[in-house]
Amino acid sequence: MTGLAVDDAAWASAWRRRSPDDKLLLCGGLVVCALLLPAWPGSLLVGLVAVGLALGPARVPARTFGRAVRLPLAFITVGALTAVVAVDGDGIGWAPDAAARAGSLAGHALAGSAAVLLLATTTPMSDLLPALRRLHVPDAVVEVASVVYRLLFVLLESLRTIREAQTARMGHSSLRRSYRSSGVLAAAVLTRSWDRARRMQDGLAGRGMEAGLRVLPEVLPSSRAFLAAGAAGLAGIVAVSLVVA
Amino acid sequence: MHIAEGFLPAAHAVGWTVAAAPFVVHGARAVVREVRENPESTLLLGAAGAFTFVLSAIKLPSITGSSSHPTGTGAGAILFRPPVMALLGTVVLLFQALLLAHGGLTTLGANAFAFAVVGPWVGYGAYRLVRALGGGLLPGVFAGMVLADLATYVTTSLQLALAFPDASSGLAGAAAKFLGIFAITQIPLAIGEGVLGVLLFRVLTVNARPELERLGVLRPAPATTAGGAA
Repeated sequence: MTGLAVDDAAWASAWRRRSPDDKLLLCGGLVVCALLLPAWPGSLLVGLVAVGLALGPARVPARTFGRAVRLPLAFITVGALTAVVAVDGDGIGWAPDAAARAGSLAGHALAGSAAVLLLATTTPMSDLLPALRRLHVPDAVVEVASVVYRLLFVLLESLRTIREAQTARMGHSSLRRSYRSSGVLAAAVLTRSWDRARRMQDGLAGRGMEAGLRVLPEVLPSSRAFLAAGAAGLAGIVAVSLVVA
Repeated sequence: MHIAEGFLPAAHAVGWTVAAAPFVVHGARAVVREVRENPESTLLLGAAGAFTFVLSAIKLPSITGSSSHPTGTGAGAILFRPPVMALLGTVVLLFQALLLAHGGLTTLGANAFAFAVVGPWVGYGAYRLVRALGGGLLPGVFAGMVLADLATYVTTSLQLALAFPDASSGLAGAAAKFLGIFAITQIPLAIGEGVLGVLLFRVLTVNARPELERLGVLRPAPATTAGGAA
């Protein structure tokens, strides 16, 4: 358990051992379909395929997937409704074809979010970061991103522990106390992150690895069957969408 | 407030990615140079990125009774400078998209432009201006963090207005709509983030003065006799 539900789901997913490149191609294709195809029926198909694959073969818990969708859902609802409200000299009203436009906007966004979540709940970040290297992102940047990933769970744990201790000492019993406690909490997390980084650096330097901890990425072989099925599925979504639209 | 995956039309998503790219590449080059000269800074930069991510997980109580989360880019810009934050902010956005479903991949460029470029630069500019006008560290931090948050929210609202102009009143009407609707949450949040920044830096000046001096946030204290620095 890392404390982030999406990351936990990715490590436990039945697709964890699949090649990250295969999953990137499939989910990237779904994201592009969600963005470019007409909302009806393209977004619906992309959403159904992404949710179906996540809850079916990838065995992502429905509760985790549902909770993860909640955050973008709030933005999508407010954003789509605001986009179709018309403001003019007479006041506020609905724009022409407001329902269709709001539906189309929400459809594109929900389908795209589901496709990104399919990738996020089946592929841990540590599998995705080596892919950045293959995209010619400089090694130093990938190293920094890897350290961010390694450190953030330690810091989230510190955050939870300190907050719990503050709450037990009435540190969040009023607005004023809560702000003061949050300031101390942020400062404690920052100084701990520096301390952790310094201790990791000392540990690596003691082992002669001054330039950081380089590890061999786990090799997860690509599957031709998976790629072929993914390509066929994406082609099917495009064909059905264009024919129906 | 990040734009969700798939919310922006493809042309806008590409356009904002192109707009953010030079700043992020500049930040990446600054990081590569820093790591080449001081290999140990990889871990400190990683710690800075992890702190920015974790800062966004701190719940700030709001006056309305609900709670919201700070952006953290103002503090990052003051501590680590805007070019580095352009890269670290983009890395944090990628992590938020893939670990929290907050933001997206096709909207990464638009979110990076608002959260990792405009916010840090405006916040850092406000901080430097207050310090140059003779303001102390804490007023500078308050101005920097409030304006970094507000600039991020204004930029995001303008990005949405550009993508979805109002049917009757065009871009201006759309900007008023998006600025108005998100102001309900973002203005109290920006002020809350400024207060958090003041409290954070007040603790840091006591507990982490050497680090703040090394980062150039505080001038080194003049040498004093034993016990005088306490």
